[in-house]
Amino acid sequence: MSQSGPLKTRKRERKVEDPKSRHKRHEAMEAVKALDSIRFGFSENPKEMEYFYDLFERVYCSGETLHTDKPTIGTLCIQAPYEIIYALGGVPVRLCNGFHTDEQSGGDFMPAKSCSLVKATLGMLNQHNIPTVDRLDFIVHPTTCDQKTKSISTIEDMGYSVYHMEFPRHKESEESREYWRRSVRSFAKELSVKIGRKLTRKSMKEAIKKVARAQLAYHRLSELMKNDPVPILGKDIFLVTNAFFFDDIERWTNRVHALCDELQKRVDEGYNAASKRSPRILYTGSPPIFPNLKLPLMIEQADGVVVADESCSANRLFNDMVSVDEWFLYDMVDAVADRYLKGCTCPIFTRNEDRKRRLADLAKRYSIDGVVYQSFAGCQVYEMEQRSIQRELEKIGIPMLYVETDYSPGQGGQLSTRIEAFIESLKVRKRRVDHKKRGAV
Amino acid sequence: MPYFAGIDIGSTAIKIVLVDGNGDIVGQKVSASGSMFYKYAKESLQQLCKDVGIDESDISYTVSTGYGRKLFKEADETISEITANAIGARKAGERFGTIRTIINIGGQDSKAIGLDEEGNVVNFAMNDRCAAGTGKFLDVAAAKLEIDVEELGEYHFRASGTPLAINSTCAVFAESEIIGLLGNEHSKEDIVAGIHFSIAKRIIRLTKKVGLNDIIYFDGGPALNEGLVAAIEDELGREIAIPDYPQITTALGAALLAKESFGYAEA
Repeated sequence: MSQSGPLKTRKRERKVEDPKSRHKRHEAMEAVKALDSIRFGFSENPKEMEYFYDLFERVYCSGETLHTDKPTIGTLCIQAPYEIIYALGGVPVRLCNGFHTDEQSGGDFMPAKSCSLVKATLGMLNQHNIPTVDRLDFIVHPTTCDQKTKSISTIEDMGYSVYHMEFPRHKESEESREYWRRSVRSFAKELSVKIGRKLTRKSMKEAIKKVARAQLAYHRLSELMKNDPVPILGKDIFLVTNAFFFDDIERWTNRVHALCDELQKRVDEGYNAASKRSPRILYTGSPPIFPNLKLPLMIEQADGVVVADESCSANRLFNDMVSVDEWFLYDMVDAVADRYLKGCTCPIFTRNEDRKRRLADLAKRYSIDGVVYQSFAGCQVYEMEQRSIQRELEKIGIPMLYVETDYSPGQGGQLSTRIEAFIESLKVRKRRVDHKKRGAV
Repeated sequence: MPYFAGIDIGSTAIKIVLVDGNGDIVGQKVSASGSMFYKYAKESLQQLCKDVGIDESDISYTVSTGYGRKLFKEADETISEITANAIGARKAGERFGTIRTIINIGGQDSKAIGLDEEGNVVNFAMNDRCAAGTGKFLDVAAAKLEIDVEELGEYHFRASGTPLAINSTCAVFAESEIIGLLGNEHSKEDIVAGIHFSIAKRIIRLTKKVGLNDIIYFDGGPALNEGLVAAIEDELGREIAIPDYPQITTALGAALLAKESFGYAEA
């Protein structure tokens, strides 16, 4: 016997919201909250940061999309060579996502103990709603991370067209270098067919220069962070580098230079964006991606200052420039390939001496007091590499705090206690070293 | 005479210590934190002042610590419970010698802290996000076994044979494991001992990360549970140091810091 009528009797009338619009609303709320704490949680932000705050607001809070006229190529890892995409007239848009809302919905496709970033990226793709662009023509996936690699079939099931770029796991051998060069050449051919354009010597050269100019702008910005006192806080640096994921590259480069001009003035005036005793922190590990900038924010709310990083959402994006011997097309493509493989310090490699060296080097050049190492719970390679990195840093007398996190905002209490205690211990250490120095004079 | 207050607002209890200008304890109070951390902390402080016979305005400087530290707006300074614990343990544990390793089990977390010769925190390790091996874990287990938390120690020593293994690291799963053990007619005593040993193993694993130095100082509410203390000692194979009032070490540290900070402020 069937019966029609209300499903249940209730006192309160309510309308159930459409899941898709609810999801979108939650994302926007998350973005507003994060942006507010980055922007208004601190006083005296550099004026030139307004461009970046505004950009994130437009894209993530007001739903504006960019690059409507060009082929948009979604990238699942920073090892996808931007130079080739630009040379073929496309725009690379990084898909790595930082939303808790998406992490939760993406959890449907992944085992419980898996990376927040991969879950969030799947969650976003499943919604067919990429905040930065209104469509994706093509996704390229270098086979770096296992969890992403295994997600590709899921992403294809969602209706996307995905291209795999085979990426080697061993960096030192000549075989891996050749293997990766071939991958890059095949990718260039495939993309050329998809976009329907030819890769030319001229367009390749221009693209290499375009990316190099962006790299130089970033290097200028990092150089400014070597100053003590520092002219800007690390939370802003992360926002700037996050903008590189999707902003127009030339506009981005100009904006970074404008910011650097302002910061240079601050340096000349002896301005301090942190406080007198703020320990200088080197951040490493799983990448902070907007709006999940909670760790850099927590460090700076606890009176530390992130002056350098070794992560794929900032420093690693810009390391090593393409170095070309002969400006012929194939030499340029091979040189692009080399830049990506040799400069990469991702923990997916068998050995990772380069990452250790880079951290030790950054610690020295940026006068680092302590290292904060974040691993997204479930990212095995970062979790595993933590011990060897800790040992390496011990050798040079730099304390390291290791934290496992995910995108949940409710982790505040325990996490902030750890961060604060770490910063407090660094301050005591710093004071003692200062005393000793003064005593010696 | 100026007084200094250290207020430790934890997940389960609010601990307040008052010290005088010499850093000696003049009063202490432990009360439940409930759901209104701020209100209860204020009331508790008022009550303590009354008990000690001083006026609240006699307190020159206040430092708050613990999860609720930022809620106590009257505090002159806040500090993380790790730093406060280290300062407090050095003072409270003076009679044991130079403390270089601290084990703290609180209501919702457990931690190990390593100190240098001068008492500065050099490293620390904390459990992650769940109630495994914390005071909460003991609460849940005691409730299921229908005994008081205070009785756990007694039950531990009445256990016979090899302690049962409680393998779950999660308080919720551990409860179902306890139900399973009860279903297999194991005695409450044996289950209690099993719980203590499982917490002991966990906390020792955590402590190894910061280094097991000569004297291991154990504080926090669960340090009042002699059964748990015995389990940790058995697992370690040596005696550990328990202060007279294990619950208030962190509050004492905050009070001592208040005294020190006030001194600095004066100068």
